[in-house]
Amino acid sequence: MSYWEDEDPLVASTIPDVERLKRAWRNEKAAPEIFQFQAELVQRAREQVQLQEDNITVMQAEGTDDLTLSLYQMDLDRTLFLLRSYLRTRLHKIEKYMIHISKTELWDRLSEHEQGFVKRCTDAFEDHLEQSVLSHLPYGYQSILKQSISSEEDDMVPEPKLDAFVFCRSKGTIGAFQLDETGEEIVDLVEDDLYVLRYKSIKALVETGQIDLV
Amino acid sequence: MYGRNAGKLLREVACSESGHLTSFNNILFDKVIQDCSEHHLQLQSLMRKIQDQGLDIQTTRNSDHFGAVIHHLSLIRNKRCLMAYMNHRLEIIRSLRWKVGRELPEEIQQKLTQSERDYFKNHSLALESYMSELDLELTVDMVPPKDPYIQVRVLEDIGDVLLSSAQTTLLRHSVHSLRRSDAEPYISQGLMEEFLG
Repeated sequence: MSYWEDEDPLVASTIPDVERLKRAWRNEKAAPEIFQFQAELVQRAREQVQLQEDNITVMQAEGTDDLTLSLYQMDLDRTLFLLRSYLRTRLHKIEKYMIHISKTELWDRLSEHEQGFVKRCTDAFEDHLEQSVLSHLPYGYQSILKQSISSEEDDMVPEPKLDAFVFCRSKGTIGAFQLDETGEEIVDLVEDDLYVLRYKSIKALVETGQIDLV
Repeated sequence: MYGRNAGKLLREVACSESGHLTSFNNILFDKVIQDCSEHHLQLQSLMRKIQDQGLDIQTTRNSDHFGAVIHHLSLIRNKRCLMAYMNHRLEIIRSLRWKVGRELPEEIQQKLTQSERDYFKNHSLALESYMSELDLELTVDMVPPKDPYIQVRVLEDIGDVLLSSAQTTLLRHSVHSLRRSDAEPYISQGLMEEFLG
């Protein structure tokens, strides 16, 4: 670790954040549903990116050798990729399940900007379907949310498949963990072991950060 | 009738290469819409028949009732198929914004309906305003970076451009070493290609 301790504290403090961003990104990529937006983490990552860019400009002006510069640049590019990919992965989920998200508690997991995006997207989506399909259907069958007027619930809205299988790695020893409500399936979660389980059953552990998706 | 045309419409999607758009099937689409109206007419006439016989529409379970149920279910099935067809196309259309950019080439435009073209435009606008609020371009950096610089060959005369490093003149067939994020938009527009070897 001595390498990082030699660096100035600003650079050293980026290490855990990049790791955290990587974790958030991996979880987001692997999970069928959307997670809480990591507002502070994203904010900090962006500040650090900005700082790094400034540093590189200064070093360029000072005539630092190209190899060192390109290493810094590479580090910066990787962080930027993580950041962009994290935001993009969220957008893809948002696009896919926008109606479901906007009428459930998932709405609160979005950032303010993402909420604005959902609103605009949904408008475009509804306008298009209204105009091309729904307005041509008979009365009683024109809802975008329900199959027909006699449906009691919204049964036309695509939802994420929560019982999809995901790969996950336990961060600590959790012990015997109940996978279903009846208690018939129990798995012993050991530290640093890899499992393939239904997302639904370990959802709570992911949200509290006890287990990571990979 | 009874969902047959709607099934055909979806089979077309299922058989096409994933991620590729087929031309909008107007003829079949309109047939399914007609089927829907036809089912609705039959449904109503059966309901009327039950009422005309002086029976309670909620509790009657005769052949007319079950006939009506079949029409209702067929209608719902058609609706689901139509929406699935549209939704599947929209997913591809949205992915084009990431792959191709804001302007769709003519051959793709032709495969879309007017309403889909409008949707693409509106959806792009939503995405652009999100990115400008965030002040971060998200359509670059689509693959994890290996090296900050890549070698590219220019395929069309682009002229003088201001890239993040400096002002550069991009002439056809010239080879440059550019920042990946600078080159990506040109590559996706087909103006450059990655120069390997």
